[in-house]
Amino acid sequence: MAGMVPPGTAVLGEASAAASAKNINEVGKKVDYMNLPCPIPYEELHREALMSLKPEFFEGMRFDFTKGLNQKFSLSHSVFMGPMELPSQSAETIKIPTAHYEFGANFIDPKLMLFGRVLTDGRLNARVKCDLTEDLTLKANAQLTNEPHMSHAMFNFDYKGKDYRTQLQLGNGALFGASYIQSVTPHLSLGGEVFWAGQHRKSGLGYAVRYETDKMVATGQVASTGMVALSYVQKVSEKVSLATDFMYNYMSRDVTASVGYDYILRQARLRGKIDSNGCAAAFLEERLNMGLNFILSAELDHKKKDYKFGFGLTVG
Amino acid sequence: MASRVSLKSKGKSSVGKVSKGMDDKSTTQCLKEWSNWALKKAKVITHYGFIPLVIIIGMNSEPKPQLYQLLAPV
Repeated sequence: MAGMVPPGTAVLGEASAAASAKNINEVGKKVDYMNLPCPIPYEELHREALMSLKPEFFEGMRFDFTKGLNQKFSLSHSVFMGPMELPSQSAETIKIPTAHYEFGANFIDPKLMLFGRVLTDGRLNARVKCDLTEDLTLKANAQLTNEPHMSHAMFNFDYKGKDYRTQLQLGNGALFGASYIQSVTPHLSLGGEVFWAGQHRKSGLGYAVRYETDKMVATGQVASTGMVALSYVQKVSEKVSLATDFMYNYMSRDVTASVGYDYILRQARLRGKIDSNGCAAAFLEERLNMGLNFILSAELDHKKKDYKFGFGLTVG
Repeated sequence: MASRVSLKSKGKSSVGKVSKGMDDKSTTQCLKEWSNWALKKAKVITHYGFIPLVIIIGMNSEPKPQLYQLLAPV
């Protein structure tokens, strides 16, 4: 059959065959819905934006020393001196100078992770992550205090499927939550969550969408509690990322937008952001030596006239 | 019957043990009281025992660290 076709059309035929074969390959790649990647967990939806825009700002002096006893086990000693802000209803911020020492023990295994921190006033912060089977993970998180009725605990059961993840949450105070996230295309994942808080008699429903490529991540989340959160992170180069975040509460008509940058350099990591509430903040982590990090944190809130500066050292 | 009812009502106000009744109401009540007691004990045990548990698990993992490494600053 091929010999009967004239040579001129054969070349054209080959070219078009090659082009259509390429198209079929591309279409074939797009249509491979059976092999979608596993999406990230629902609570880490805004992970990139949070990492860039919300580092742990602090005020005062902080010193952290982590001592590893072996590969899996380490102890940490942490000292903090500075004003702590009390949550107050009025516009004024109330700060109380505090100093505390925190002792911590971590055990990190591929299957079991235990993380405990205890403060001088008796507060315990504990986290446990245990892989019960290949796909099922139990996570527990507790903040226990000596004061009655001020302790919180939360248990999560995560199940990881081929291209979906589900999570069941149980907390104290009759808190129940469930979430589900599914990969719809290689770049897009959609998820939803439902929660019920018995003590406050509140229940809510939420939806989330996440679109990511190598260069950017865009996420959106809507909840029936009135929260709408959108974020966009663009990886401009290996060292530079720019992020922006928009939060809107349609019940209380509260809007916050922020723009920030994240420079990951060889010896330092600098993150800065500016807010629509008139708050400009920056966070610098500089590696002075192997295992020795110097931290500077600054947060200027021009609207509330609250200026916070902190410095610290992290060893190990 | 009257004494049993009054015992039950005393049990409702106090957090301690309640005498087991024969009907459904007091078994669920009993269950709630016991589970409250168990949760309180679990909270105290976790509060005092979590960090020692992590340390014990860590000291028994391979390669076994020495005791002085636990206390020495370097």
